[in-house]
Amino acid sequence: MTTISLNPQTYRPAYPIWCAGCGHYGVQSALQAALRRIGIPDHEVMILAGIGCSGTIQNNLGTYGYHAQHGRVLPAATGVALSNPALTVVAAGGDGDGYAIGVGHLVHAFRRGTSFAYIVMNNETYGLTKGQHSPTRAVDFPSHVEAPLDAIALGLSIGTTSFVARGYSGWFDQLVELTVQALSHTRAKQGFAFLEVISPCVTYQDSYPRWEHALYDVDADPSYDSTDRAAAFELSTRLQTEGRLPAGLIYRAAPTPILNTSDPVQSEIDPSNLIDRYHEIMDGYAVRTDRA
Amino acid sequence: MSAPRLIDDLSLMVAGQGGDGSLTLANLVGDLFGRRGFHLYQARNVASRIKGGHAAAYLRASVTRRGCLGDRFDLLVGFDHEAIEEGGPLLADDAHVIFDVSEGPLPDGILPGAANVLEVPFGRLAVRDLRRDLFKNSLTFGVIGRLLGIADPELEEVLRRNLTRLAGPLIEANVQALRRGLEYADGAGITTGAGPWQLDVGTSEDRLLISGNEAAAFGFLAAGGRFFAGYPITPASEILEWLTRRLPEFGGVAVQAEDELSALNLALGAAMTGTRAMTATSGPGIALMQEGISHAGSAEIPVVIVDCQRAGPSTGMPTKPEQGDIGMLVSGSTGDFPRIVLAAGGPADAFELTVLATNLAAQFQGPVYLALDQVVSQDAATVDRFDLDAVQIERGKLLVEGELAGLDEYRRYLMTDDGISPWAVPGTVGGQSLITGNERDEWGRVSTKPANRVLMIDKRARKLETLTALLPEGQRWGDPAAVIGVLGFGMQTGVMREAGERLGVQGMVVKGLQVRTLWPVPSDTLAFIESCERVYVIEHNASAQYRRVLAGAGAPNAKLRSVLRYDGLPFRPTELAARIVDQEGAGG
Repeated sequence: MTTISLNPQTYRPAYPIWCAGCGHYGVQSALQAALRRIGIPDHEVMILAGIGCSGTIQNNLGTYGYHAQHGRVLPAATGVALSNPALTVVAAGGDGDGYAIGVGHLVHAFRRGTSFAYIVMNNETYGLTKGQHSPTRAVDFPSHVEAPLDAIALGLSIGTTSFVARGYSGWFDQLVELTVQALSHTRAKQGFAFLEVISPCVTYQDSYPRWEHALYDVDADPSYDSTDRAAAFELSTRLQTEGRLPAGLIYRAAPTPILNTSDPVQSEIDPSNLIDRYHEIMDGYAVRTDRA
Repeated sequence: MSAPRLIDDLSLMVAGQGGDGSLTLANLVGDLFGRRGFHLYQARNVASRIKGGHAAAYLRASVTRRGCLGDRFDLLVGFDHEAIEEGGPLLADDAHVIFDVSEGPLPDGILPGAANVLEVPFGRLAVRDLRRDLFKNSLTFGVIGRLLGIADPELEEVLRRNLTRLAGPLIEANVQALRRGLEYADGAGITTGAGPWQLDVGTSEDRLLISGNEAAAFGFLAAGGRFFAGYPITPASEILEWLTRRLPEFGGVAVQAEDELSALNLALGAAMTGTRAMTATSGPGIALMQEGISHAGSAEIPVVIVDCQRAGPSTGMPTKPEQGDIGMLVSGSTGDFPRIVLAAGGPADAFELTVLATNLAAQFQGPVYLALDQVVSQDAATVDRFDLDAVQIERGKLLVEGELAGLDEYRRYLMTDDGISPWAVPGTVGGQSLITGNERDEWGRVSTKPANRVLMIDKRARKLETLTALLPEGQRWGDPAAVIGVLGFGMQTGVMREAGERLGVQGMVVKGLQVRTLWPVPSDTLAFIESCERVYVIEHNASAQYRRVLAGAGAPNAKLRSVLRYDGLPFRPTELAARIVDQEGAGG
């Protein structure tokens, strides 16, 4: 069948810039597969990415894409999602972008619960600047210790957190499934969906051999209850002491009614339709000239 | 007693400890004048703390419209010693002073010799019987009413209508306090009509009493602004508070961000979807936003950034005015990108220019600054009602779905003669595009090719040339034939003009220009300078920041003279006039 498109030609998606074997290929393929499985048209998707190797993923998929300032992908994505709730909004970036320069925003994204998905490609390094340690890598210096940050445990500690999951770029089928669940969570306006993906850097921090055995797949454990926040936190902290981490759907809150109905992009702005209400506001500042 | 003096311009200062309610009293007195058609100008002086510290409220009421405080105060209400120390030197020779002697006697040697002092034992009259310090204001209001020659029933009526939010018993207690004040005045021989003053009558036009921050927030709403993000900071917080209250009523969103980095990027996110977006802050926040502002300039995202300037550097003096961010606004951040900097000189300007800035941002697809300062932001003045019918929404080259469908291809950063590329927002079928602060080709794909780089820098620069005709000209006043010019913006607007009148009285003919577009320097500013032999550039900063901008834009430096102030206090008209006279005397 031949289809004739009336739409203009837009940019041609780019080829990834990543090294052969980079975990990010798995993340991109999973995102593509998830968008396709849910059936979201390209023009309804906005992918915002940070700075770093992972911060090029938005160029490769043919959707609306935005390249944020370093560390600022979360506020930008929050602005997009609050302004136009009809869009499927995906923020993406690396662990340097999200857990170092941008970690202040991560806490508030959990706290605010705005409905969009955030996919962090955690490779324990700054690849694009050639291999410096990132906040997820443990390093001992003579002067001080850099302890690894567990953003999943951080998210679990915040009361409004509604979705945290960890995937692994080496476990593709599960990663697609987790991405579908994260996107579905936000599309149902259930809040902020946080998906960390262990996505090793084969050039500077090749951790495939380590993570393959250090991840504990909760999805494979029938006794695991992903609605039990305290149990999720307990598991995270216990595994951490063993140098391991949980993977899979770690926590998802029970569905809640949708309270936020603001839709700024659809709001009336034509002054001729609002002039009476504007006059009412102005009247509040009128100097009273009535005399006794 | 001599016949009462007819009052057409009166300045009042009420001072005490923060929490004494100085502002409440100034508002009450303002109401007496407002209903008589006087123009009002209100200012505050507060310490950077919640309660306590010295705080003062100022009111100027005048038959002629004035955009600043007067030279001297005619009436000082001092609830503590510090009020006398602070206010005493600012008093007119024949000023009236109401002083609270509950805590001790009037300090010697501070007040002018001819000042008329009423020593009121508030402690005995109000605090003991009525138990609340708050009632001091209502008591004092009675005394002031008698000084102004206003009949008792009107005072009570005004008091009651200003207290409607209080519970009934509290209102009655305040009315009791007012009567206590009237009894005191009787005892002091100030019966109705026997006071020193009698009020003139102003022109009863329909006016607003509004601050610059409120007017700017309102202007943004009226211009179709539906997304605001801000982080609390003095003196910008009123904009955040106003829009947090109002935007949801109109389907919009206001977010109190975790910091200014977030505030700007929240606004950029919303702006990318086509919602008209703004943030507001002061110098420290603008400093944090610099990276994001160059990003908006590069990625071509429309956003309005309000800078309510305060005294820097660093934390500086948070509650004091300055115009010390001009250099940062005009040339801060990385690389070359076009930006527009407007400056409002009062509430009417703040409304009009915020509407314009919101439209310009959409037409320009880039960052538009609106420079205010603590005085313009927080002082309130009477202005004519805003012309809401004149507000128009300009969307620039925003492509809607139908328009896109007619195109063979869509390039977000299309090269155009005017530098402005048609723009489709996410959600539009066929408008998929890449938005980036990296250098990029027309399709939005990252590119470092030298030829493309030059084309892109030049394209973005052309946008500014395209929109030059839409940038607001300055406001001129004075004798067009004068050879001495006075130039300023923001907080200098009203005081400059009144200083010009003072100079005229002294025989020095000047003309003035209130600049409303700081950057790019518009041709009418250069023409004004060209038409003068010398121009005094009035600025609240120590390094002549705007004069340097003017010189850099081609104004002949030899014609420019700086009048600078950076002590955190606004000029008073006579002070400014004297500074200009001094410099003229020193050879111009």
